[in-house]
Amino acid sequence: MEQKLTKRDLWTLFMRVNTMRITLNYETLQGVGFMRAVAPALEKIYPDKEDLREAMLRHTVFYNSHVNGDAAIAGLTVAMEESTGPNEKEGINPLKTGLMGPLAGLGDSLVKFTWVPIVGSIGASFALSGSIVGPIFMFIMYNIVNMVGRYYAVVYGYKKGIEFLNGNQNSNIIQRISTMANVVGLMVVGSLIASVIKISTPLEISVNSNVTGEVGGNVIAVQEMLDKIMPSFLSLFVTFIVYRILKKNQGKHVAWLILAIMILTIILKYFGIL
Amino acid sequence: MTVLLITILAFFIGIDDVSTKLFRRPLLIAPLVGIILGDLQAGLAIGATLEIMWMGIGNVGAYMAPDIVTGSLISTALAIMSRNGASLEATVATAVTLAVPTALLAQQLLVLIETVNVSLNSWAHRLAENADVKGTKWLIYPPAIMTGLARALPTFIALQFGAGAIQTLVDSLPTFVIEGLSTAGKIIPAVGIALLMMSMIKRVEMWMFLVLGFVLASYLQLAVLPVTLIALVIAYLYDLATQKNEVVQVAATDIDGEEYDL
Repeated sequence: MEQKLTKRDLWTLFMRVNTMRITLNYETLQGVGFMRAVAPALEKIYPDKEDLREAMLRHTVFYNSHVNGDAAIAGLTVAMEESTGPNEKEGINPLKTGLMGPLAGLGDSLVKFTWVPIVGSIGASFALSGSIVGPIFMFIMYNIVNMVGRYYAVVYGYKKGIEFLNGNQNSNIIQRISTMANVVGLMVVGSLIASVIKISTPLEISVNSNVTGEVGGNVIAVQEMLDKIMPSFLSLFVTFIVYRILKKNQGKHVAWLILAIMILTIILKYFGIL
Repeated sequence: MTVLLITILAFFIGIDDVSTKLFRRPLLIAPLVGIILGDLQAGLAIGATLEIMWMGIGNVGAYMAPDIVTGSLISTALAIMSRNGASLEATVATAVTLAVPTALLAQQLLVLIETVNVSLNSWAHRLAENADVKGTKWLIYPPAIMTGLARALPTFIALQFGAGAIQTLVDSLPTFVIEGLSTAGKIIPAVGIALLMMSMIKRVEMWMFLVLGFVLASYLQLAVLPVTLIALVIAYLYDLATQKNEVVQVAATDIDGEEYDL
């Protein structure tokens, strides 16, 4: 079937998807933004004003997903609006709602939890050595996924979205990609524990030497001992404790936790433990 | 003059954060502030530290995260403006300390805007009722200006009135406090990392990937890039293995158990 929207229309859709989150509000979250995003496309699909009115009203309801998910869903939605008959319109919103959860999850695992930490930590290591390459590298790498990815999500959602949904209903491809992204993300996060969190203790234990009988003759540096058992042991230990605390609070009170760490570190520094 | 420039920067980055999202990370914001204030080195060091510190900070569930955009802007600017010949480490420590409270305060403004934005719904509804596509163009302008101001005004106030006070405060702090804050900046990333773990560990077996990544970096001293490449291979193999299982089980049940929390 020939599709009605031109490249130009898809560009308009993409531009409006970009500004969707500005209207974020507590009643419909991105509902206003979504309606605004698809409105020009709807105008092209429905020459009749009454149809257009109904279509616009349909998309003012509650909506929320991840940015790249938004793009794919917006593309798919206009494709559905275009291809469905007058009696099939009730199916559009349930499909939209059904996708916003999984696609938000997919977008988060790919971008927020995997890509941003990877390019952020590589960029940060450059920047820490005083190189402007750090932020430039991060800006380019992050925005390739952010902007370019968003544009192609709109186009792909519109051109291939319906085909994709029909073909993959049983193979839960979204779930699989999310899980794979999580595996990559977790390995990166595991490596960051060792490379990013830097804790060492200047503590020393003096032991009485058995050989010479000298008191305090042998000084053992605690950090050296820990490094022999496991490098970055303290980093892993602290991360695990923080994880337990956050898990207990379901991710709330992050700022208080950070403040507590600051105060605790200052106290430990005062006593020469850190 | 520089204060005004940073305020304008805050206005546009504030709007960018809710739309195109080009600049929303500390590592991208802090160097810009550094350039405006003529201290790129400090901007880079602060940006890198805050980037790692706020890694994984994002909205978890319905909980709105601290506003790291305003936090980065204000803390970087104030730390550089009150540097006055202090060491790079002390400057970074100042920024880290300022970043947390400013991000927290600015977060409240964002909550306020989302509440005020509720009024947009009746406007949008009216436009839809009249099938007025042209009119929808204007929907974003009032909230965009509001969001920009929500970032620009606190930045202006903090820079205009805060810089002198911060400098006096930092000068009067004993060294162990500055050193402690500097060390804290290297421990706080644990929070961001733990938040990432919370979002990603949905099944018990996922722990082993975390352990593998840790071992590669700690014992084998591998950098992030090689770890990522190895991780891609492992992810592919894991997908192959779990796919086979699914064929055997023909599991219609949700393996994940945990739905994505919007």
